Amino acid sequence: MLEIKNLHAIVESEGIEILKGVNLTVNKGEIHAIMGPNGSGKSTLAKVVAGHPNYEVTDGDILFNGESILELDPDERAHAGLFLAFQYPVEVPGVTNTTLLRESYNTIAASRGREELDPLEFDDYIQGKLELVEMNPDFLERSVNTGFSGGEKKRNEIFQMAVLQPVLSLLDETDSGLDIDALRIVADGINKLHGDDDGVVLITHYQRLLNYIVPDYVHVMIGGKIVKSGGKELAFELEEKGYDWLESLATVNGEAK
Amino acid sequence: MTAHPTRIEPSILHKLAMHSPDPENRAWTVIREKCMMKLNSTPFPHRKIEEWRFTDLKTITRTEFTSLDKAGTLPASDIEKYFIPESDRSRLVFINGRFHANYSSIGGLGKGVTVGNLRNFPKNKVVQEYLNKLVNYEGDVFTCFNGLMFEDGAFIHLEKGAKAEAPIQVLNLYTDSAKPFIANPRMLVVAEEESDVTIIEDHIGLSDNRYMTIPVCEVKVKQKAHIHHVRIQRDSTEAIHMSRPITYVEKNSEYHSYTITLGAKLSRNEPRVIQEDEEVNFTLDGLVLIDGEQIADTHSVMDHRFSHANSHQLHKVVVNGKGHSIFNGKIFVRRDAQKIDSFQENRNLLLSYDGLVNTKPQLEIFADDVLCSHGATIGNFEPEEVFYLQSRGMTEEKAKEVLTYAFALETIENVKVESVHKLLVEEVHRYTKANSIPKQKKVIV
Repeated sequence: MLEIKNLHAIVESEGIEILKGVNLTVNKGEIHAIMGPNGSGKSTLAKVVAGHPNYEVTDGDILFNGESILELDPDERAHAGLFLAFQYPVEVPGVTNTTLLRESYNTIAASRGREELDPLEFDDYIQGKLELVEMNPDFLERSVNTGFSGGEKKRNEIFQMAVLQPVLSLLDETDSGLDIDALRIVADGINKLHGDDDGVVLITHYQRLLNYIVPDYVHVMIGGKIVKSGGKELAFELEEKGYDWLESLATVNGEAK
Repeated sequence: MTAHPTRIEPSILHKLAMHSPDPENRAWTVIREKCMMKLNSTPFPHRKIEEWRFTDLKTITRTEFTSLDKAGTLPASDIEKYFIPESDRSRLVFINGRFHANYSSIGGLGKGVTVGNLRNFPKNKVVQEYLNKLVNYEGDVFTCFNGLMFEDGAFIHLEKGAKAEAPIQVLNLYTDSAKPFIANPRMLVVAEEESDVTIIEDHIGLSDNRYMTIPVCEVKVKQKAHIHHVRIQRDSTEAIHMSRPITYVEKNSEYHSYTITLGAKLSRNEPRVIQEDEEVNFTLDGLVLIDGEQIADTHSVMDHRFSHANSHQLHKVVVNGKGHSIFNGKIFVRRDAQKIDSFQENRNLLLSYDGLVNTKPQLEIFADDVLCSHGATIGNFEPEEVFYLQSRGMTEEKAKEVLTYAFALETIENVKVESVHKLLVEEVHRYTKANSIPKQKKVIV
């Protein structure tokens, strides 16, 4: 459902190229993990797919269900079923979680032909989702992420994912900053939400998360491209050997081009 | 409606004030004489004066104002729709600065609360003691104009220990007139020891009528008294609003004021709070929402003269179109005023390229054991916030509407009267909905 083809992207304000030809295909029902050292372009890839305005795609394409989404605004991509769980979820003082979620749910529902929910129906709907990430109902009436701890913010992202029911979820370092209990809760939530009809892309530094969520594929990103792909065993190899042994791949490929 | 036409230039505004027919009230002769003297030595402001550097007064100097010699009238429905339910029996209505008893209602305030129009209390001891004694005419022609021309005003007095059972609405309405006119609302509030009152001061102009209103308000908060003062400026889009509220706070008293500026083509709000003893707590918050060619200027003074004061000023501004906001917040901490905790923040959300914001926090601190925080920010939305909301399915416009709404809402959270809070939420909503926010450059191509 997601096909990333030879994707090149620059930081718009500085002109620096971050993505240097990424290729990735995610099919229904699959979980992909993208790993790699700091600064390799993992988070940028997630943001570019979600439509972040700070980046400009200079070459290549992103197809979602066979159609290019490069011309779509971030909200239109969300309507199509894309979801990005942020590495650093943004605080929005003055807007309650419920307000944001109902607004989001209904706009996405409308564009995907699902029925919109009135506030009462929405309250019922949302209760079940709270349990999924073991979230306190008080959170609903608090301003979005405002004053939340790092762990609470991450849990809130997965809660939003549960409510919005995306077709493809990009989870950007959702595991970082979580203690072991929170990690388990978040991972359980993601596992329960994932089914045969949706895809998940996990972006992570650590193999730790992959003990809880078993990926079908593992990709290593270095220097703005995917330099190696493999099955879940690749993650263990990385845990053991680090990324150094792959650095040369990035350079050789880079020069070969 | 007949009027006294007068050609307007700054000096002629002086003349208009000086020759306005004195309402037969002899009790105010002393006030008139004092103002006449002050006015003789006070020039009309211009932009070479530091305090008026940023404020374009053309709207005043190019308008031919008159003073009305008849009270204005309005259809009842136009008046009643502005009544707040909580003040059903605690309401004063003024039209163009003149009292309208038939729309006012003052039965619901309980013991020890005197409410009415100043004209009705010529012999009242409190009026004699405080009217015109708190106001500061120094260097300000507008306050002098009011002193020379005011015809009536609101009077609110709470005896020792009296608690007003309902919020008092002081409703100021301005009518249409063939020629632009000047209205001079006046208000005197005296809260004796341990008394408590909430005041909703509302200024409303209908559609696009042209007038200048100069509301002068004197407030005295005695020991352990509390005042919650909400000021809503909903003047017409062609109006000029020059308000001068001044408040003296005594020991252990609290004065919390929230000024919401929505209307007027040109407004200049000059609130002052002056500390008269130790252990006081006061707030001077503001919210300004402007667009078109509106100019909204706030020049405030928080004067800490004694030790142990907590003061708070959050002034939030949203500018769209060619709107122009000016903020100058003076905080004085006098030499012996120790242990002062003063917070000031001016946050500006500038939505358009043609909007303009001037901000100047001005702290003059002569004591050494004080905590004064101040800050001023001017900015558009954080792109990351907009992207976050967009990634959750909101359009860019909707995301910005939500963020503007959230930005503005913080200031009015503290308004305690439910219907007024609701009204303000609606006003914020109307503003954010009406103002389509310019789209940022689209980057992904």
